[in-house]
Amino acid sequence: MIIMGEELIMKRNPNAFLKEEYEELVKNNFDWKLRMLETGSTPHSVVDGKKVIMLCSNNYLNLSNHPRLVKGAIDAAKKFGAGSGSVRAIAGTMKIHMEVEKRLAKFKGTEASLIYQTGFAANAGLIPQLAGKDDIIISDELNHGSIIDGVRLAKTDRAVYKHKDMGELEKVLIDSDKKYRRILIITDGVFSMDGDIAPMDKIVKLAQKYGAMTYVDDAHGEGVIGPDGRGIGAHFGLEGKIDVEMGTFSKAFGVVGGLIAGSQDLVNFAYNKSRTWLLSGSHPPAVAGAQLAAIDVLETEPEHVKNLWDNTRYFKKELKSMGFDTGESETPITPVIVGESSKAKELSNKLYQEGVFALPIVFPMVAKDKARIRTMMNAGLTKKDLDFTLEKFQKLGKQLKII
Amino acid sequence: MISKIGFLVNPIAGMGGKVGLKGTDGVSDKAKSLGAKPVAPSKALETLEEFLSSYSQRDNIEWFTCSGLMGYDELLKAGAKKIQVLYTYKKSKTSSDDTRDACEKFLQKEVDLILFCGGDGTARDVYSVVGDNIPILGIPSGVKMHSAVFGVNTSATAKMLHEFVNNRLTIGDAEIMDLDEERYRKGEWNIKLFGVAKGIVEPTYVQVGKSVFESVTDNAVKDELAEHIQDEIKENPGFLYLFGSGGTIDYIAGKLGLKNTLLGIDAYYSGKIICSDLNEESILKLLDKYPKTKVILSPIGAQGFILGRGNLQLSPQVIRKIGINNIIVVSTPSKLASTPVIRVDTGDKNLDKMFFEHEFMLVVIGYRLSRVVRIQI
Repeated sequence: MIIMGEELIMKRNPNAFLKEEYEELVKNNFDWKLRMLETGSTPHSVVDGKKVIMLCSNNYLNLSNHPRLVKGAIDAAKKFGAGSGSVRAIAGTMKIHMEVEKRLAKFKGTEASLIYQTGFAANAGLIPQLAGKDDIIISDELNHGSIIDGVRLAKTDRAVYKHKDMGELEKVLIDSDKKYRRILIITDGVFSMDGDIAPMDKIVKLAQKYGAMTYVDDAHGEGVIGPDGRGIGAHFGLEGKIDVEMGTFSKAFGVVGGLIAGSQDLVNFAYNKSRTWLLSGSHPPAVAGAQLAAIDVLETEPEHVKNLWDNTRYFKKELKSMGFDTGESETPITPVIVGESSKAKELSNKLYQEGVFALPIVFPMVAKDKARIRTMMNAGLTKKDLDFTLEKFQKLGKQLKII
Repeated sequence: MISKIGFLVNPIAGMGGKVGLKGTDGVSDKAKSLGAKPVAPSKALETLEEFLSSYSQRDNIEWFTCSGLMGYDELLKAGAKKIQVLYTYKKSKTSSDDTRDACEKFLQKEVDLILFCGGDGTARDVYSVVGDNIPILGIPSGVKMHSAVFGVNTSATAKMLHEFVNNRLTIGDAEIMDLDEERYRKGEWNIKLFGVAKGIVEPTYVQVGKSVFESVTDNAVKDELAEHIQDEIKENPGFLYLFGSGGTIDYIAGKLGLKNTLLGIDAYYSGKIICSDLNEESILKLLDKYPKTKVILSPIGAQGFILGRGNLQLSPQVIRKIGINNIIVVSTPSKLASTPVIRVDTGDKNLDKMFFEHEFMLVVIGYRLSRVVRIQI
């Protein structure tokens, strides 16, 4: 604003874009309509005032309300306080943070591990440090957005290969071998839209052949696949052979926080170089306490992982026998592919009205004719809950002429 | 929102094919005497029927067309409302003049898009009047369909139109190609690039939120490609660069501040274009002088050809001299969405085989971003 005598002249409105751009999103129906939970994230939740069966949380093992995790959080808060006081690098590293990392490495079968504030912070902080100007990052075309952002921050060449296509990956490796100093292959472990698993055994083999580093984002595999939910390394018997196993405490572990597991060299490098890790405050003691308890639970209560898989198998089998297309999923993420985007949205709305909470995934997240409802199984659901859910799917699937 | 569509049918398009003529340009009488039957009107009708049955706001569209079989008959039969005949053909048989005159009329009415039914010859006639002012979409019905403005079949064309009026497809480059029919009937194969029209393309999406994507304009993608090429050139001093033909490369050259030949091959060295619109002979001379050369190509036309369509100057001898490894292919992702393969037809079987043995090519689709694309026979 320029004040000229008594007149007040607006040079420009610096805030107008906020409203304009938001309204544009609303107009195109691209805005997020936030749904509010009035309960914890539990198998039966109250969402926007309605009691529903929760089929779209990442709380696979139903640990977010597990008494041992809650107690772990309370005890740590009582002992160490509500906040940690600093970034990890300065004065925010407590004994409990170190303990989680030690236990996590043991759980993952790796030499060392490091906890980041979130999974996003791990990808966005570490990936750009792993490849520079003379290097190349090779990425599966369906990798998660946080990987894509991490890769964007890297000053490096990038190549994309067709989803899980090892032939294409090898072609890029052959080409890259000649041209670059270092090669980094990045893939999701479990792909979050389809629930399929990256062929990590083959990727590691190719990486060894061409001297490439491997990085797997196992956010949806952590606590889910492999013996006792130890993740993708254990799933393929590759403990310690994947250079960077990245994951999160926010999904099956039921808490929050990103993680990497690998060699001590990796961890030393990572915490000295990741800007996200160096420049944000460390987890409050309560978070670390709950993380520690989550590892305890996974090591001592195998029933959660077992229930998750029993539920998953039953749910998939029944959906298939009803005639639904459930895609190529190998995990507790089960897509129910319905075709047109409008149909997926309609099915999701109707399911909610009937008491089942599952969100649609539409183009361009997935191909135009592959719009779907993405369901994520929860170990805390009973057979009765699943039968209730399946009955709704069957009824509405027929009503909407999907089956 | 699109509301005005210009529509025309070239009733004789495609007649030459069934009777063994490589096109119908200038030989429609011969085709008829050999017993050829019109095919375009029925293809046009199929497309219109499918579009009108799937598009809910079909009654809002104003159709501007030509008399009789050049459009009105098909529209009426398909059940279109609000049809206005802007052009009436005079003689008993139609010619390319009719196509061009009709397009003039469409432009005067400020239509949003021209839908036409024909082949490469018709596309060329439409383009010669319309240029890149408004988008054009072709219902494939000719003998030759190398141009990128055609849907792959009538059903796909109807779907493209449907997606476009619903704002799910966007406008991008579409090359107009045609075989020189006179030369072809004499046994010479020469597909020329006539120009770059505005066609309908799949937009490129970038993820901006967990499940929110924004479509990016073709020009924004081409800006990235230009930045990439700029780095590439900077990192390889001492190299001569040949800029290929077509809209993508022309845009890149423009961004680098170079005066490029849209339909031809130009040579760049050390900061400037040193020769323009080169023929094979002059390229070979340059290659003698500059042993370190790279060539920048982009898929041209409907089928993903990087060599052998619209750039015959890049002869087998030229390509052998440059070396396959010195070919840089750039493409907007929208182009790869409709044609997810790269094709070559150099005219030299052994050279083609060398390409096929590579199986894949890394195609640059963004700034320092490439993806694996299959090379197909």
